[in-house]
Amino acid sequence: MDALRLRQISKRYGAVHAVRDVDVAFETGRVHAVVGENGAGKSTLLRIAAGLVRADSGRIFVEDQEQLGFTAAGALARGVGMVEQHFALVPVFTVLENMVLGREPGGFFGLRLDRVREAARRAFEQIGASVPLDARVEALGVGDRQRVEIARLLFRGARTLILDEPTAVLTAREAERLYGKLRILAGSGCSIVVVTHKLDEVLAFADTVTIMRRGAIVETRPVHRGSGQEESRALARAIMGTEPLVPPPRPTRRAGAPVLSVERVSLGTALRDVSFQVSEGEVVGVAGVEGNGQEELVRIIAGLAVPDAGRVTHAGTVSVVHGDRHREGLVLGASVADNLVLGELAAFSRLGPVRVGFLRPGLLANAAAARRDAVGVVPTDLSLPVSALSGGNQQKVVVARALARTESGLGLLVLAHPTRGVDLGAARAIHDLVRRLVEHRPIGALVLSSDLDELRTLSHRLLVLSRGTIATELSPDASDLAIGEQMLGLGAEVRA
Amino acid sequence: MSGLLRGSVAGLLVAVLALAIAWLAFDLLVIGYGESPHQLIVLLVRGTWGTAYGIGQVLYKATPLLFGGIAVSIALRAGLFNVGVEGQMSIAALGAAVVAARLSGLSPWLAVPIALAAAAFFGALWAAPAALLRARRGVHEVIATILLNRVADGVVTFLLAAGLALPASVRTPAIAPSTRLARLETVVPALAGSAVSYALPLGVALLLLWSVSARWTRLGRELEQVAQGPEACAAEHIPVARRRFEALVLSGAVAGLAASATVFGYKGAFEQGLGAGAGFISIAVALLGRGSFGGLLAAALLLGTLQQGGLVINARVPMEIIDVVSAVLIVAVAIADRKLTRLFGALDHERRLAA
Repeated sequence: MDALRLRQISKRYGAVHAVRDVDVAFETGRVHAVVGENGAGKSTLLRIAAGLVRADSGRIFVEDQEQLGFTAAGALARGVGMVEQHFALVPVFTVLENMVLGREPGGFFGLRLDRVREAARRAFEQIGASVPLDARVEALGVGDRQRVEIARLLFRGARTLILDEPTAVLTAREAERLYGKLRILAGSGCSIVVVTHKLDEVLAFADTVTIMRRGAIVETRPVHRGSGQEESRALARAIMGTEPLVPPPRPTRRAGAPVLSVERVSLGTALRDVSFQVSEGEVVGVAGVEGNGQEELVRIIAGLAVPDAGRVTHAGTVSVVHGDRHREGLVLGASVADNLVLGELAAFSRLGPVRVGFLRPGLLANAAAARRDAVGVVPTDLSLPVSALSGGNQQKVVVARALARTESGLGLLVLAHPTRGVDLGAARAIHDLVRRLVEHRPIGALVLSSDLDELRTLSHRLLVLSRGTIATELSPDASDLAIGEQMLGLGAEVRA
Repeated sequence: MSGLLRGSVAGLLVAVLALAIAWLAFDLLVIGYGESPHQLIVLLVRGTWGTAYGIGQVLYKATPLLFGGIAVSIALRAGLFNVGVEGQMSIAALGAAVVAARLSGLSPWLAVPIALAAAAFFGALWAAPAALLRARRGVHEVIATILLNRVADGVVTFLLAAGLALPASVRTPAIAPSTRLARLETVVPALAGSAVSYALPLGVALLLLWSVSARWTRLGRELEQVAQGPEACAAEHIPVARRRFEALVLSGAVAGLAASATVFGYKGAFEQGLGAGAGFISIAVALLGRGSFGGLLAAALLLGTLQQGGLVINARVPMEIIDVVSAVLIVAVAIADRKLTRLFGALDHERRLAA
């Protein structure tokens, strides 16, 4: 039986046909992956499936019953729930409070959380997690927050779980654990739908894969798990419509003078005694589970936070791609052009530093166009609000701005999760740009990422950040397992 | 350019819809009072736009609203709500009147700019505490500016009593003749008797300057960016707190310039209650005008008309009815604006992508 079936679903945003005439069925007891480039319509399709977005046309069946006027609440009541890419938890509430949000068990005199405590605990047990029910969500790491989201759906009786890029914020080892749990859930009669960019995950864990391109389904087919290289190629070809290139070589290394030195930096409980250097001509990768001090480290290097102890010295300019592009990378309501030159308007003003001076729109447009073309942002209309772009293109805007700032000689480029939520094609383009810059300009780069493949492709040296300290330095060719152990701070015991 | 046009079409529709609703409210209130809405509307229109004098009075009433509307818009551009225009106007009017009284003997070419600078200075001064609290401590500017309105009331009363007023009065000494702004009746004789002065063209010029600057200067652009994405701005080293401070202080300075209409163009002195209420109505002007040149000008004229109209119909119904209608108008605009902007936003998006 199909847990969830979509028939002839279409959805337009303005003239953009986000989803067109899609037919897809998600079977009970299976893990179904949905893959495709950014803007292929995956998220939109699944948000429709979860009742979060209303389709313009088409029919939705849950367990063979047609659903009319499908809403998120109605979907959940029928056992269909979704964990979105940006979690929907209230940070100041406890785990349990978040789980009951909107369906609070009430006595006459208010909340009776004790009544549901046991059920909530069982929900976590189902996914083999033990998250303290009374901890505030803001105190939890990303992985735990995700577990809360999943447990909340199970607690509400969801049997079809839709997860939008659940592993984007996880380490390889955490991702593996997550999929292990998802497989168990599928085995117990749930149906799991996962949107992902990572083909290896599909091949390792999915039963069925649906490939989307430009709002339509290219094909849906069974996955021959563990069948390796050949299958992976075929999938990539189906997604991109062309044969993917072989993974490119690392940038040539020519370590010169240091452009960044971090000396014994500490900040609150986030960073302890961190020291390292980045030299001109090299790329240093920082691996680690998110929430182990990466964000703080970036903020200190960017000059946005002052360390409690220690020193950071730069040679030349510092340009930063922050990890959260919606918050720190972009002014979403502003135009693409304005975002490409954010913070640099003085250079385009007739009176220079005097701020009442009029801007030179032609000059600004030229600079913005050059940056846009350097990374290939589409659509090319610079006057569109940046919020109208797909995630991958938004990220290209952020990267283009940072890259442009390394033009003035010696400098440091800091990239935090430069390709998170970005499709294969765009990710490769961004990597190529970084590589070319490091080879041809007098700059060094620091790359922080939870994607080990990305770190491997780019870095010459790999630092592992664990609980606010640099656990070790490894060669980027070290195995996933070795790196993972260091990330989780268990290196010594496991190896012994 | 067509985007701009579309924006003004949307704005016009919003205004028409809102006006219709406000009209309905007016009718109901007047009927409730036992009067004929038709007669009163005729009376109101005749008393305002029906005679040259009426027009002059509407323009006079609209002038401080214009300055206030620009002031509120400047703050709104930076995502801040300056509700303290009322207090900033009264402090500025008092301060400017006191300074202007001491400028005798100067040529008007020198005296008028000094007097206006004083008005702007005192307006900015009264916005500064709220601006500082917002920038340094994150205190919400709505709270701070509202409270400063009350403080301004007290301070004005106190200072008048403490010696700034002429003995046994609540009025300051007359300003130096060279600081007076001429009435427009000197160039348009038909306006004879009405209080509209050169402060009006000054306000329109300022409005033009602001509406162009908001879009095409670095200041205007950055204020908007700070409003829309403070974290991203901070990450790119745009000083967010400083921009907020500047926006509120600039807003206060422009509010202060409303004294050009009341003190320099009309009364020739400050007295308690002069121009009172204009600061609050200015908020409505800014919300109605949506920051655009045409919008703010039309909104100031509309609310100026209502202000003057209230006086005209006061003999038949209480003029507070006009206050209620103004309030209904604001609420109606807020609602219609949302609906229509969404509609037009979608259309615009579609058209661009099709192109």
